[in-house]
Order: sequence, then structure tokens, then C-alpha cells
Amino acid sequence: MTSLANTAVLPQPRRGLPSLAPLVTLARRRLQLTARTPRELVVPLLTPVMFALVIAPALKQALHTDGHYESYVALGTVGLLIPLNTMFAGLGVIVDREHGAQRELLAAPVPRALLVLGNLLVALAVTGLQLAVLIGAALARGIHFSASTAGVVWFVAAALLFAIGMYGVAETLANRVPKQEEYIARVPAIAILPWFLAGSLFPIDALPSGLDWFAKVLPLTHGLALMRYGLLDDSSGLHAIWRMHSTTTMAALSLAVVAAFATVLTAVSIRVFTRSAVR
Amino acid sequence: MNAIEVTKLGKTYPGGVQAVRGIDFEVAPGEVFGLLGPNGAGKSTTVGMLTTTIRPTSGTARLAGVDVTKHPLAARRVSSVVFQDSVVDRALTGRRNLEIHARLWSVEPRDAADTIGGLVDALGFAELVDRPVAGYSGGERRRLEIARALVSQPRLLFLDEPTVGLDPRIRYELLDVIAGLRARSDMTILLTTHYLDEAERLCDRIAIIHAGKIVALDTPAALLAALGHEILELRVSGDVPTALKALRARGVAGDDTFAVGSTLTVPLHDRGGSDALAAVEELGLATTAVGTRKPTLDDVYLRLTGGRLAEAA
Repeated sequence: MTSLANTAVLPQPRRGLPSLAPLVTLARRRLQLTARTPRELVVPLLTPVMFALVIAPALKQALHTDGHYESYVALGTVGLLIPLNTMFAGLGVIVDREHGAQRELLAAPVPRALLVLGNLLVALAVTGLQLAVLIGAALARGIHFSASTAGVVWFVAAALLFAIGMYGVAETLANRVPKQEEYIARVPAIAILPWFLAGSLFPIDALPSGLDWFAKVLPLTHGLALMRYGLLDDSSGLHAIWRMHSTTTMAALSLAVVAAFATVLTAVSIRVFTRSAVR
Repeated sequence: MNAIEVTKLGKTYPGGVQAVRGIDFEVAPGEVFGLLGPNGAGKSTTVGMLTTTIRPTSGTARLAGVDVTKHPLAARRVSSVVFQDSVVDRALTGRRNLEIHARLWSVEPRDAADTIGGLVDALGFAELVDRPVAGYSGGERRRLEIARALVSQPRLLFLDEPTVGLDPRIRYELLDVIAGLRARSDMTILLTTHYLDEAERLCDRIAIIHAGKIVALDTPAALLAALGHEILELRVSGDVPTALKALRARGVAGDDTFAVGSTLTVPLHDRGGSDALAAVEELGLATTAVGTRKPTLDDVYLRLTGGRLAEAA
């Protein structure tokens, strides 16, 4: 062992990098950790892809529905993919806390909210990648979408805001539960149950009385209605929620709901993280 | 300006547990300061408050003049910490762990590369630094963590029980590394430990903390001097308080006598060791072993953190 004092000639560090630099560093770190955990990338894709490529065509054939139903379900599976992926991303927060470098990051001279935002950026990037795979696979399977430029904007806005909100849910939960096991036990109730009620496989009008009102409150219902409006030019989901004449107004209202969901859950997740990080 | 100023610092956790009870101390720039105490004494809570991961419930703490509660970012900018447990990204390489620290502490990338190169050579893990940390041994991981804490050239370095759980050889190597850091006069080190030899070897001054309070604070030499030049140690086969009472009545034992199990440790101060042994023999105490020896820091520590028998006798 050599003596540190004798051998290490250390230059004085220069300070003053741009303020976004820590966020980029934190996001890069999270991305590198995620890339080394392939299950985080692949597992959330499996169920939605199976629904889009296997179950939807099978239902179409069995129930003698038209080709539109395949497209309807293919977009419905986006409502499963986003929650599953963001909830998986939340697991990384617990791993970081229990076995990773979270405490080192908490001792760093950066606002602690950036830790949450860095994780969020990566969760969004991975979600975007998975959405591209899902849509690409659906197109390859012959499922048809009819999207204009404006429609794509509606779809992207709805998917982005819903993913932000769902990551807020995941981050909040990850900082509230002490163990991975407890976190995983809650995933079905948060990521899967609402999917069955939000008009993913059938319109919410078909739900029993009372449950349709519950469906209208779910951000996922609004998100899916917007995504179908964007990529399928199908406003029936928006009508089922709002029952108004102006489609644009209904779309704007649903977007406002999803935006509020994203804003509130992001704020809550940052607050919960910073409070749980400092005892 | 002191590197660390702690004034009436206290922490009471929700539920009423008082982990730290209004402690005061100051650490001069370049000093190596030891916080010594048993498990649960409040050492890690104190470091947590100084590194802004635990919020004090009373008092103030300043790092290089910066109030840690009012300006936590500025306080974190001048300090680094090596945690008690391993706190690293195991899936990433050692180099990546070091680079992340450098970026977060705003070290220019070019400077960071030079610094990292110097540190990995100095700490002897250059051949490992580009491998994932998951494959490192405990000692290698510790060296990485010390290197990481130094990448940003902190004015203050917190070492929270850095050698816990390491085998003796690795522990010795790390002590050598930390001793090497002492030569850098511009860096202040606060070391928590319950290994007395570490504190004695590394620290300029030591605060002994017990049940959330500082019960002694001085240089190792001064703490030792408080016990005199010689210690009488008896392993009593009968009732310990009765033996102590007899020793006190005979004028051998003072108020600073302490017991651990059936062993009585009696600082002799100005009394001679042979006289004390003769007195024990005259008293006819039931003992299985009697002897005298030089006091150690262990004796200081046990006297201050163990059960005192002065009141019991």
C-alpha cells in the first residue's frame, strides 16, 4: 500500500458547470443502471405486446368484430404498458435505496428534486422506446392506424403526461414502502386493475352503472380516449366521458385532466422523496 | 474560522428517542477529529446531521462557516462522506462511480480524469477501476469509496466507521490510507469509530460520545493522562461491589474505578502498583487474577461509556 499523501498530486477542482449538468449526470446514471437490467426493458413489454398481437386478433375472430377492434385494443394496451413500465422503474428507486448509491447522491450538492427528475427522464425515455416497439409491432402485424400530424401530437401529449403521472405514483409508492416485496404486491392494484375499467378492451359505456362514473375519474380513461382520438380519429371515448358536442373541447378537457394528474403526482413524488430522504 | 462548529446540537426522532442530546464541539481546519462511542451512542446521527441527511431538532452545526440547516447545498459542496455501509452503484464500474461524484460536485471533466487517475493509483486499485463494482471485495469497495470522497477535493471529509466489517489486513491497509490523508493539511477529517486503536492512531483529538452526550473531549494523550500512569486490574470471583467497597475503604480505589463483568479496573493515579497489590493481598479479596499495567484508551472509553461503580459501592 502506497501512501496517498506521497503519490496523489490532485489538481484543484474548478467549479461552475451549468445548472442542468447535475440533472444530465443523474439521468445518465439511471440510464446506465437500467441498461444493465434488461428485465426492466423487456418484461413490461411482454403483456401489452401479447394483447396487441395475439389477444386482439383472437377476439376479433372469435367475436366477429371488424378490423377496428384490433386497433382499438392495440392502443388500449398502451394503457397497460405505461403503468407497468413506470412501476418497474419505481423498483429501481428501492434498489437504489437498499443496495445502491442513493445516500451518496443525497450527500451531493444538488437539489434532491433532481434525483426524482433524473429518474423520471429515463422512465420516459424507456417508455417512449417501448411504445415505439409496441406500435411498430402492431403495424407489422397489419393493425391499422389513421393518424394526422395533429393526431400524433394528441397521442404523444396524452402518453407523455400519463407516463409522467404514473411515474409520480411509482416514485411515491417506492418511497413509502420499505421493501421490494411490499411494492410488488401493490403493482397489480395500481397498474393492472384500472386498465380493465378504463376502456382498454371495451367502451366504458359497457360498464355496470356506477363503475362507469369511477372510470371517468381515472386519468387512464382520459389518456386512452385521447390516444384513440389522436391515432384512430376515434372520439367515442371522449364522448363517453364528457357527452359534449365539441370534440376539441372534450380533448382539451381530458388533456387537462391528464396534465393535472402529471403535475400533482410529480409534485407529490418530489415531496415524498425529499421528506423520506431526510429523517 | 473553524472547519466544524457544533453548538447544542440535538436530534430527537419521532417517537421520542433522543439520539443526540445537545452536543458541542469545534474542529479546526486540518484537524483529524474522532467521534468515539459504542453502537447507538449517536455517532452516525451526528454525521447524518452534519451531512444534511438528518434534520437536527435543536442547536446548530456549521461546516466551514456554513449553517447546514439553512444552507444545506453549500454545506454539501465543501464536504464528502464515506458511509458506514457500502454505498455504491454495483452495476457500474468503479471509474463511473468516481465520475458521477466528480460531476455532481462540479469538478471539471478534465480535472476529474486527472484526479481519478491519481487516486486509483494511490489507493492501489487501478487494475480494477474499469470493472463493475459488483465484483469488488469489501476492502476494494472501501478503497473505491474513499477515492470517490476525495475526487471533489473536499475541505471536510466524514468517515463514518470506515473499517467496520473488514478483515484485519484490509483494515490495516485502510488505516494506512487514512493516515496518509492526514498529511494533507488543507483537509479536515471527522472520523467515527468504536475501534479505539483507530482513534488513537489517527486522531488529533477525540470526543467520546455516550447515550447522545459527549462525555470527554481531548487529545488521546490527555485522555490517557487522566487515568494516571498505572492501572490495577482484578478479576473478582465474588461480589464485585463488595470488593470495590473494600478497595475504597482501604484507599486503593477512587471514584473512577469501573467494572466490566467480573473485572474491576482501578486507576491508581499517584498510588504505586506494588502498594496496591499488597493492599489487595492484605484485604484477602476473592480474585482469580490480579495485576497492574499501563492504561490504554480502552480504559478511558470503558470508564466513560461503561457502568461506573462509584455510586454502587
